[in-house]
Amino acid sequence: MAGPTTHKPRRKALPKADHLSKADILIRSPTFPLAAFLWPARGSVSQWEILPLILMVAGLFRWAAGLWGYSGFQKPPMFGDYEAQRHWMEITTQLPISQWYFHDLPWWGLDYPPLTAYHSWLCGKIGSLIDPSWFALYTSRGSDDPTLKIFMGVTVIISEYIVYIPAVVVFVRRYARASGVATWPAWVALVAILMQPATILVDHIHFQYNTVMLGFAVASMSSMLAERYYWASIFFVAALGFKQMALYYAFPVFSYLLGNCIFPRLNVSRFVGIATVTAASFAVLVLPIILGTLSDVRKGVDSRPDLDGPRPPLPLFPQLANHLDTDAAYYPIIEQLVQMVHRIFPFARGLFEDKVANFWCALNVFIKLRKYPSELLQRSALLATLASIIPPNVVLFFRPRKTSLPLAFATTAWGFFLFSYQVHEKSVLLPLMPMTLLLAGKQGLSKDTRAWVGFANLLGCWTMFPLLSRVELRVPYAVLTLLWAYLLGLPPTSTSAYFQEGTSLWTQWATAFIHGGFYLAMAMWHVLEAFQVPPPDKPDLWVVANVGVGFAGFAICYAWCFWRLLVESELIPKSWTKKTKTKTQ
Amino acid sequence: MAETFPTLVQCAIVAGALKVLLFPAYKSTDFEVHRNWLAITHSLPIWEWYLEKTSEWTLDYPPFFAYFEWILSQVGKLADPAMLRVYNLEYDSWQTVYFQRITVIVSELILVYALQMFIDSSYGASKRAAQAAAISVLLSPGLLIIDHIHFQYNGAMYGILVASLVLARKRSTLLASGLVFAALLCMKHIYLYLAPAYFVFLLRAYCLSPKSIFRVQFLNCLKLGSGIAAIFATAFGPFALKGQIPQILGRLFPFSRGLCHAYWAPNVWAMYSFVDRVLIILAPRIGLSIKGEALKSVTRGLVGDTSFAVLPDITPRMCFALTLLSQAIPLVKLFIHPTWDTFIGAVTLCGYASFLFGWHVHEKAILLVIIPFSLIALKDRRYLSAFRPLAVAGHVSLFPLLFTPAEFPIKTVYTIFWLVLFLMVFDRLAPASAWPRFFLFDRFCTLYIAVSIPLILYCSLIHGVVFGKSYEFLPLMFTSSYSAIGVVGSWVGFLVVYFTS
Repeated sequence: MAGPTTHKPRRKALPKADHLSKADILIRSPTFPLAAFLWPARGSVSQWEILPLILMVAGLFRWAAGLWGYSGFQKPPMFGDYEAQRHWMEITTQLPISQWYFHDLPWWGLDYPPLTAYHSWLCGKIGSLIDPSWFALYTSRGSDDPTLKIFMGVTVIISEYIVYIPAVVVFVRRYARASGVATWPAWVALVAILMQPATILVDHIHFQYNTVMLGFAVASMSSMLAERYYWASIFFVAALGFKQMALYYAFPVFSYLLGNCIFPRLNVSRFVGIATVTAASFAVLVLPIILGTLSDVRKGVDSRPDLDGPRPPLPLFPQLANHLDTDAAYYPIIEQLVQMVHRIFPFARGLFEDKVANFWCALNVFIKLRKYPSELLQRSALLATLASIIPPNVVLFFRPRKTSLPLAFATTAWGFFLFSYQVHEKSVLLPLMPMTLLLAGKQGLSKDTRAWVGFANLLGCWTMFPLLSRVELRVPYAVLTLLWAYLLGLPPTSTSAYFQEGTSLWTQWATAFIHGGFYLAMAMWHVLEAFQVPPPDKPDLWVVANVGVGFAGFAICYAWCFWRLLVESELIPKSWTKKTKTKTQ
Repeated sequence: MAETFPTLVQCAIVAGALKVLLFPAYKSTDFEVHRNWLAITHSLPIWEWYLEKTSEWTLDYPPFFAYFEWILSQVGKLADPAMLRVYNLEYDSWQTVYFQRITVIVSELILVYALQMFIDSSYGASKRAAQAAAISVLLSPGLLIIDHIHFQYNGAMYGILVASLVLARKRSTLLASGLVFAALLCMKHIYLYLAPAYFVFLLRAYCLSPKSIFRVQFLNCLKLGSGIAAIFATAFGPFALKGQIPQILGRLFPFSRGLCHAYWAPNVWAMYSFVDRVLIILAPRIGLSIKGEALKSVTRGLVGDTSFAVLPDITPRMCFALTLLSQAIPLVKLFIHPTWDTFIGAVTLCGYASFLFGWHVHEKAILLVIIPFSLIALKDRRYLSAFRPLAVAGHVSLFPLLFTPAEFPIKTVYTIFWLVLFLMVFDRLAPASAWPRFFLFDRFCTLYIAVSIPLILYCSLIHGVVFGKSYEFLPLMFTSSYSAIGVVGSWVGFLVVYFTS
């Protein structure tokens, strides 16, 4: 278990939390199918009865989805993400540790932080027990052994069940308690979160281990809810150490922890403690690499056996070499760490690789960005990102509230996704995760939240469609997204999530209008993409249209999350919210 | 509450999503069998359907199923005409796979409809129970494993069976019930095993007066007789014109096959074989003689022809006699007391009898027992306690059908999910019984269910690790012997319930 679930809760549950709230009692029948499925569990059903069933269903859908193809299946010369992960298991188990970040970089060289490398090593070791040829050096490249595929699928599922799922279960419980939500709606939210189509599509079908990183991030958030700040830092370092993409969350983690050290009163010891624990976690993270490098140097193993002659200069900060003695005992460690950072943060690449539904790709449709110097582009990307992420983090810093955590995470991650540098389609998982967690919060299953969370998720999956259709994953895409939309009562299966009583008419119409327009556009796009060949001079027309619509929708999601954050932080007068809510949307 | 949740349709939608995701899963030779039948019915004139033998998987279902395949092939030619060529053996383009898998899912709508009929035919307190039972049948791991992975059209067939059983609930639809069942017989003849119960029930409740068995209702007899005759004429008429009936019967009833099927179905004969094997080891010590030629075949029990080393051999005639005898006894009660509940009980017991004593029984036939039983399993707690071991044994016995590692998590997790969910729900919904329960039966039942966990672990993991590929019959033998105990135990338990209530 990754989450500290075995600890006794420091605070007793709020007495109110276990009783059905007024709104729940008033509801006589489930308002959407997922609630209907859990309807019989409203009574006194023990969690030991319902939780195993939920986890089994989630596992079944994941495994069944994994029966489909994966990225790069029988697609030489480079294959795909699956090959990258398999290859890392190959190099980590077959090569000395000091060569991991240097080995044959053009062939899926390791470019993730050390925890991924250790994870690959563990999986590779176990896999080699079953069949050593799966991870044999060089000869195993591009392997499409069906048993290997099963093994890889098992590693994804087990990693997810060890990290992500316990973290989400614990988070949902704590967040529901913090928001005064009863047990039963929290179960409904848990199922909705676990059945989130985007994570299943990317991890279990297309193939990656994002849920491990997301799981550590959720565990970090969950520890913040439990006021265990040291654990929050450790988990967050683990998330960063697994996948650098977790940096999307770094700002809210920092703001929240710092805010909690300052407000309501200055707490220096906590601050020092957090800083120490974080530094120590980073040290533990890289320790195996350092020790391994030292041991390799002693054994005379070179990190780059393919190179003859003098050592090449450092890939980053070459000026450092002027101050350092390249023959000193510490130099290989510096070289190793610099190489690691260089591999993890590819500053040298362009603003974007593929077509991604973010600001730069959308802008590129109108202004060809390639003609501008990359210096300028990098700088403007940095500025735009900062401009989008500073406001929510300032709010979180001054009002570090538990209930607004997922909102701040989501807003910041949207900001990064929309404006930062080197974004991948799959990065949309990062803003989607905290946004989906909102379902477990106050009014999380109300029509309004459900409509917005659902909108973001369905749009997110839709922007990944070009990626998925390249590897013939249209059917699982359609099944999983439509199933989720059906379960939560969302378009295209139902319009019941719109027009609820109690909010202003303006808000309802604006939401319905905006969402309706986007759903219509998505549906039209699918029809066009399926039946209409794009004009020969614009072969990428459909992808570009996808990017444009996706960007607009995500920008609206950013605005909504930010708005909700402001409301949640009580920075907007209550009387004011009802009437002007539509303007910011 | 007007409606209980989740509804049947909601469950069907979510289950449908899982079934579509299972498209790329393992498919057995039955997939090729049905592709071949699509090709035969589509490309050959009707008179040659039962003569064609290019593929070894000749058409061996009754004519209505062939007509059904013909209808499917009319749509199939839009998906991929190449699958409709008789010589295109083992053809499985993705269009073919998608098409055939979709037809299974769509044809299963008959089952959804029939189960909805079942729910609607229940009133009052039993409605919730009926809904739970209906959902349990719809989500049955048996149907998922056999139809949607292994590949067959049982969902549609059992849908027709359930419809017929539900129609028998009201006097006004008794005729329809009989006719629907006759049509079902013309689709798949395995349901002949249930026919004695239908015969007795319709005879007593429809053809004879409810007041006296000596007063025959001639009009009803005429309606039923002519209806059945018309149905059989539609099915077999075209073939009778060309004198092909003996050829069809030869295809439908291949008596040349062995006592036990490729895997051992968990019936009396599996226990008999198990005892025989044990006796091979014990025989020298207790002075029994062993038949030499039977010992030679190491794979005995795995291939069709079973011969026993110590115990006497079994002939088809003995099987037939035992089956008929064990069917006849419950039918006496049905004749005396022709209520719907007794009828369903009798159908279930006919299924049991044929499964336990039948010749060349396939383990898939266990659904013949489970599905009718599900309709009355929630009548009271005594029924439920007889149902429980059957649910465990019947589904565990299907595991050997899927042996590929990719499907292993699906079959086990899904079955465990189903068992946990429905045994828990049934436990809450089944009302207390007016009669006392039998002594210790429930304890044994719990123990029996608990044993299934180490058994599954051994058969699927530990055996492979310890023995590798050798002694492959051991897990199969353990599974079928274990399941046989459960099926026989639940049969005995249900017999007691049937005769005492």
